[in-house]
Amino acid sequence: MPIDRRLLLYINWPLFGLAVILFLVGVLNLYSASGTRLEEGMNMAPFYHRQLLWGLMGMVGMVVFMLFDYRHLKTLAWPLFWTTVILLVAVFFMGKTIYGARRWLDLGFMNFQPSELAKIAILIVGARILSKEREPLNFIRLAYVLGVGLVLAGLIIKQPDLGSGLSILMILGGMTLFRGVTARVFKTCLFIIPCLLPLSWFFLHDYQKQRIMTFLDPTTDPLGAGYHIIQSEIAIGSGGFWGKGFLEGTQSQLRFLPERHTDFAVAVLGEEWGFVGTMALLTLFCVFLYQMVVIARDARGLFGSYLAAGVFFYFFWQILINTGMVLGLMPVVGIPLPFISYGGSATLVNFCLVGLVLNVSMRRFMFKQS
Amino acid sequence: MSDLYNESEQQAPRSGLVLLQALILGLFCLFAIRLWYLQIHRGEDYKIQALENQLRQESIPSPRGLIRDRNGDLLAVNEPAYALGIIREDCPDVDRLVHQIATWTGKDYFELKTLYNKNRKRVKPFEPLIIVPDLTFAQLAVVETNKLRWPGLEIQFRPRRLYRYGTLFAHVIGYVAEADEEDMGKRPELALGDYVGKQGIELMLEDRMRGAKGLTQYQVDVNGRRLKERVLKHPQAGHEISLSIDLGLQQLCMDWLSEEAGGVAVMDADTGQLWALATAPSYDSNDFSSGLSSKQWAKLRDNPLHPMQNRVIQSVYPPGSIFKHVVAGAGLHYDMLDPNETVFCSGSMKLGRRVFRCWKHWGHGKVDLNRALVESCDVYFYKLGKKLTVDRMSEFAHAVGFGHKTGIRLPHEKAGNIPTREWKLKRFGESWQGGDNLNMSIGQGFTLVTPLQVVRFFAGVINGGKLLKPLLLKDENPVVQSRIPLDDARLELLHKALIDTVEDRHGTCRRIRTKGVVVGGKTGTAQVVRLTDELKELKDDEIPYRFRDHAWMAATAEKDGKRFAIACLVEHGLHGGSGSGPIVKAVIDYLFNGKVTPKPEERKAKARAVRALSLKHKEKPRAN
Repeated sequence: MPIDRRLLLYINWPLFGLAVILFLVGVLNLYSASGTRLEEGMNMAPFYHRQLLWGLMGMVGMVVFMLFDYRHLKTLAWPLFWTTVILLVAVFFMGKTIYGARRWLDLGFMNFQPSELAKIAILIVGARILSKEREPLNFIRLAYVLGVGLVLAGLIIKQPDLGSGLSILMILGGMTLFRGVTARVFKTCLFIIPCLLPLSWFFLHDYQKQRIMTFLDPTTDPLGAGYHIIQSEIAIGSGGFWGKGFLEGTQSQLRFLPERHTDFAVAVLGEEWGFVGTMALLTLFCVFLYQMVVIARDARGLFGSYLAAGVFFYFFWQILINTGMVLGLMPVVGIPLPFISYGGSATLVNFCLVGLVLNVSMRRFMFKQS
Repeated sequence: MSDLYNESEQQAPRSGLVLLQALILGLFCLFAIRLWYLQIHRGEDYKIQALENQLRQESIPSPRGLIRDRNGDLLAVNEPAYALGIIREDCPDVDRLVHQIATWTGKDYFELKTLYNKNRKRVKPFEPLIIVPDLTFAQLAVVETNKLRWPGLEIQFRPRRLYRYGTLFAHVIGYVAEADEEDMGKRPELALGDYVGKQGIELMLEDRMRGAKGLTQYQVDVNGRRLKERVLKHPQAGHEISLSIDLGLQQLCMDWLSEEAGGVAVMDADTGQLWALATAPSYDSNDFSSGLSSKQWAKLRDNPLHPMQNRVIQSVYPPGSIFKHVVAGAGLHYDMLDPNETVFCSGSMKLGRRVFRCWKHWGHGKVDLNRALVESCDVYFYKLGKKLTVDRMSEFAHAVGFGHKTGIRLPHEKAGNIPTREWKLKRFGESWQGGDNLNMSIGQGFTLVTPLQVVRFFAGVINGGKLLKPLLLKDENPVVQSRIPLDDARLELLHKALIDTVEDRHGTCRRIRTKGVVVGGKTGTAQVVRLTDELKELKDDEIPYRFRDHAWMAATAEKDGKRFAIACLVEHGLHGGSGSGPIVKAVIDYLFNGKVTPKPEERKAKARAVRALSLKHKEKPRAN
């Protein structure tokens, strides 16, 4: 297939650039967070090294995701969905248990989390279903769409991985809202969801309840679960306006900050770069998200729009939840910040999804020929 | 595939696009406001908190109070020791560090790791978790040179208890060991890794000796190195303690008891202070203060001679003939005994169909009270016991302190046993027999006493009837717990009999006569088993160790207003005179003439031979 020059022309370069910039910011931040100032031969396994490798793989993945015509995914949607289901079931029988949760499949050269794949699958299946909907969703259609999501989400929550499971539902829910629902459905949901929240309490694990209690009052357990929240706020707050400077964060350097290379990466950034740094990052993310809105708007065909909207929600929820947690606005949930937190497969998936959206943007000229 | 490329050119839903933009705006506003609040509005507060995070506080251990003997010789001191800990917060890779520590110290990695995991939850992440409580100097040197390369590694100075005479005083001073959950529950000021008294005086006077920890605050840099340090509270050393024990005398007693099992108590008859409290075999208190390995502990626990047992206060024995003074006292107290009345001893006495023998087969002939005590005539006491019956004997014995704890300031004291009719009925379901009276009258049977009770009673006999609380501290004032219920004249009868037992040609305690000192004494033999006929035929040396009787001697000694009572028991020592006599004699020589008589080699050799022989026959430890 000869490369059409227009393909390159239509690429949404800002989005591409932002993804790379965000990733590099993350690596820089990891460099600081992993305590590189320990003497030679003494530092932890250098996270930023590995993150760089994952990032390179991710960029390759991103390009791969741009090569084919995204519309082929329509036919692939259901096979991909069922493959994911099979893999998720396989995790139960042959999964590797890490920290008491079976989430990984051992592929020999890497540990693979099928729940990451599930996020891609739900995007594609969701886009396929929703792009067919001619009308705003009524109850029956809504139940069907959400049912598809619940199959995947249920399997993942059982692992247990509440965070990933809910994010599947939230991505799909976001896409559904993007499609629009009938006024009746909307009103009913507004009424029902708050009522369901207290019920969900009974389905939570003890540690999850503990986290919520701790979030409500971190001081109750200042050395246990509340420790994270308190130390994270101290780290960010003590950054002040200008920050303490790169590698100068005492909180992170003194290791008062747990999980500082994964979930709490932003706290390190906030401490070292201050208000200036955090606002810059926030702005980058907002522009990054806005580019997806642009792509959704300009896409040829609804399928592309929904894909872009799905990816938008994929990133949006993670940013909201992770940053909200680090800033002490939400309970501690193990959800990483895209591109900034250390995480192998997550980085790979992030880049691939950016590639997918770029794919949609590249091919918007395809039908402009009369 | 048909509709794959022919998608109707529908535009994305407008409402959806508006929604997405609204969400972005909301996200931006929410976080911008929160960041402004945290970083600008409250930034200064958080800066202070972050600085405080770099400040750490550490307690400074307080040196434990010193322990001296009555003459000021140091018995327990503190020496510098170094413990190795890990500060989790500073340690990038705990596993590697624990591996490294195992390599440095030659300890087992898994043991260290288990210890680490056990205490993880109990130590704050920025406080050192002690992994090796006691570094040798060689190890310390290695660790010191590598310390900077291993962040999170912490060397902690702490005074360690050192007992200069570990085995001599183990049962008096006891030992310290790391505080366990229970200790920490009882004393909130204790932290993990602190040492507390676990036994003996160290336990009983814990609060007096521990002192108060100090507090220091220091700033750390990125690698957890200390920068500035400031002492917030200086530690207070614990109080010094002087024991009533005389080091030289204790050494002498322990020397004499070495290779044997038994106990010696020496009491100042006027104050109740113990000048010696020796029990053998012993263990080394120092083994505990640097942490006892499970192997060492098992060896101590399973030793058939029970070295952890304090035989002066925790072991109970039948008193044998030394109880005759108590029975005589009872006779005098109840006016059922005329000291001048004589009884004819033919060598045995019939009671019903049973024959009760005197130890002297051919009999003592006519004996009065004094003679009966001096020559330890059994028949005389059989008759007295029959008259008194168990009720009076046990009432009097209780009155003079038997069957009760003495209240000495040491843990786990035993009360012994003085039988009564009710007791026997409850214990054995049998009623009290006439023969039991006879057995009781010569100190055999159900009566059980501790050497400490014995020494207290005999101190009472020579000090005018005061039963004193046994004291272990030099500065404690005498406590009169009760009195022997006998007037001076009657008490003097007992006293004189004691002296005559030493002075008289036929006395059983002739060997402890000492020039210039008024010495009194009484021997006793506590039956271990009722010897079968075949064993009776054997010579002393041929009786298996575990069947030999225990040898008792109680003695009193006075000169120039100094008065002492001594109780000595040698387990399986056969005869009071030969088994315990030489030890008592050595004690008296030391007390009044300052003479140190070492244990003769031949006695040592004999003890060793017996021990070797007896260990061949698997001995069942006596549970008493």
